[in-house]
Amino acid sequence: MHILGVLLPENQLARHALQNFFGVGPMIAARICARMAIHDRCKVRELTQSQTTSLTAFLSSPSTYPEAKHVPLASLKFKAPAAKPLPTPAPTTNERKDTLLKSLKIETELKKEIKENIAHQRMIGSYVGRRHMAHLPVRGQRTKSNAAIAKRLNRIERHL
Amino acid sequence: MHPTLVALGGRSAWKGPFFVHFPQLREALRSNIPIKTDARACTILPNFVGCRFQVHNGRHYIPVSITQDMVGHKLGEFAPTRKRFYYRQTKNK
Repeated sequence: MHILGVLLPENQLARHALQNFFGVGPMIAARICARMAIHDRCKVRELTQSQTTSLTAFLSSPSTYPEAKHVPLASLKFKAPAAKPLPTPAPTTNERKDTLLKSLKIETELKKEIKENIAHQRMIGSYVGRRHMAHLPVRGQRTKSNAAIAKRLNRIERHL
Repeated sequence: MHPTLVALGGRSAWKGPFFVHFPQLREALRSNIPIKTDARACTILPNFVGCRFQVHNGRHYIPVSITQDMVGHKLGEFAPTRKRFYYRQTKNK
C-alpha cells in the first residue's frame, strides 16, 4: 500500500511500516497509531478503509488535522442512574494539546527545514557551517580515520 | 518540549543564557571600536548586534562583527581554533 508516495509493505506491522516516512521514528509511529486507534499488532493489510484515509489526511498536513476528542472519565463517586440515559458531559475548556503530533514535520518539509538550518550556519560563518562546507564531521569527531558518513553527506547542499 | 529550553540548548531555563558583562559595550557601539575578549563561551545577546569583537582563538584575536542572525550563538563559534592542514614543502615558513 502506498500513502503519499511512500510504500508501506503489506505484511509489516503498521507501527513499523509508518517508520518508512522520513521523520517518523518508533515514538512518533506509536503516537500516530494510538491517535488513529490502530492496535499494536495490526498489520498494514489489516488496516480498515477509514483508518487508511485518516492516516493519509493526517500525514499530508499534521498541523491542520483535527484534535482528538477529549472524553472525560466519570468521577469515582459517579453512580449510574437506573433507567435514565447518561448525562452528556460538558465540553472541557482545558483540552490537552497533542503538540508532538501537531508540530510534526515529515518528508520534504523536514528535509527543507534541515537544509535551512545548515544554510543559516553557513551564512553567519560559524564553525558548524564551515565544517559542513569542508565535508568534515561537525561535532568534534575524529578525522584521522572514520568520518566516512560526514565525508559522503556533508556538502554545501547536504545530501539527506 | 518547552520552546525556551530549545533556545537555550538544554540549559536550565531559570539560569538564562551564559554571558559576560562588557562594561565598554555602549561605548564600543557608539565609536565602533572592537572589543577585545577571551570570553569565547559568551552567548551573543541582541544588544551586541552591530558591535565589533576581537575574539581570542588561543593565539590571535579574530575580528568578528555581530549581525542579527548570530544572536543566540557563542562568540567562540566565529573564531576557529584549528589551522587547516596543507602540505608544506619545507619546515621553514
